[in-house]
Amino acid sequence: MDIFTVALWIITAICFVVFLKKDKLKTLNSMKMARGLMKGMIGEIFAILLLIGLILTFVPPDTIKVLLGKSNVYISTAISALIGSITLIPAFVAFPLVGSLVDAGASLVPSAAFLTTLTMVGIVTFPLEKEEFGLKFTVTRNLLSFVFAIIIALVMGVII
Amino acid sequence: MKILKFLKGNKLLSVVILIYIVLFVVMPNKGQEAVKNSMYYVIEMLEIMPVVFILTSLLEAWVPRKVIYNSFGEDSGIKGSVLSFVIGSFSAGPIYAAFPVCKMLLKKGASIYNIIIILSAWAVIKVPMLINEVKFLGGEFMGIRWILTVTSIMLMAYIVNKIVKKNNIPIEVKDKFEEGSLKVNQNYCIGCGLCSKLIPEYFAVENKKAKCIKREVTEADKEKLEQIISKCPASAIKLDN
Ligand code: SF4
Repeated sequence: MDIFTVALWIITAICFVVFLKKDKLKTLNSMKMARGLMKGMIGEIFAILLLIGLILTFVPPDTIKVLLGKSNVYISTAISALIGSITLIPAFVAFPLVGSLVDAGASLVPSAAFLTTLTMVGIVTFPLEKEEFGLKFTVTRNLLSFVFAIIIALVMGVII
Repeated sequence: MKILKFLKGNKLLSVVILIYIVLFVVMPNKGQEAVKNSMYYVIEMLEIMPVVFILTSLLEAWVPRKVIYNSFGEDSGIKGSVLSFVIGSFSAGPIYAAFPVCKMLLKKGASIYNIIIILSAWAVIKVPMLINEVKFLGGEFMGIRWILTVTSIMLMAYIVNKIVKKNNIPIEVKDKFEEGSLKVNQNYCIGCGLCSKLIPEYFAVENKKAKCIKREVTEADKEKLEQIISKCPASAIKLDN
């Protein structure tokens, strides 16, 4: 384990003990929720992790570099942002997926665009959002989120 | 039966496993290589996953949501915006779980500006997710993306606030809840299983969504149910009297 992970475990353990002392029932109940959340997501998590293995085995790093690398950043960023908008995987598993692609040579710009639209733009949840907040709100929010996701990604490309 | 249920509940996983089986039959070498390539990420994930979920749940339980929600009003100013970031950052579940909360805050008089902040923060800058981001993409990536995202959210909130007016937003939505006096809105349930674990007589989780299995609420259970309703991270449960 790297230091970061170890530190996180320690901080979490301390929080847990402190909260446990404060209110035992509440804290134990929240652990039930943790278990429930994990159970609900574990299938998808493993699916994506195993998928990473397939990608790394069958897509040569050179191809990843060509498709998602520095050479055609604008197109790959736009496409990544689009894919992120329609994909329905939990953000939680998106990080190892994107991390593996970056390790294999993908540029950070499309990666950032994908991660941002994945969570902020919801084509699939569009009907739900429209029903609660109306068409104008939903269209404006999703469009702006898409545009800003691309801006964020491009600025990141300049900074990093 | 069990297997069928598993396949239905885990479509993606089933497909991936099928690919692996075929692979191991046709090209065992490649299959092994793929497993080996996955292993690094599986181990990294197993190291961090429990902490992230535990932290998410602890935050969800201990951030005083009700107090924060009640402090939203017509003119909550800077404080309102900061609180909006806090609500979003310490939440559990995907963006749609925020819809009922935002709807309720709108009724309380929260501005569209703040609603956009909550929704966007809920989606992209949740603390447990940031941890995961550091782990797999590094602290620098996460830090810069965080700063840029927070800035963008504020700009976005400003713009939406200019374009969309309160009267563009429907006030009452027709009930999408199940029938009965005790009900779950399955659109928003994130399937965390909290309700079914706390009071299994009333709720069961099926296919990652909770549903009511008993609708007649006895006086004795009422208080307990109301508590659970306030704990549901997606505010997806409702009890009519
Ligand atoms: S209805 Fe139950 S399972 Fe669904 S989000 Fe609420 S507490 Fe969790």
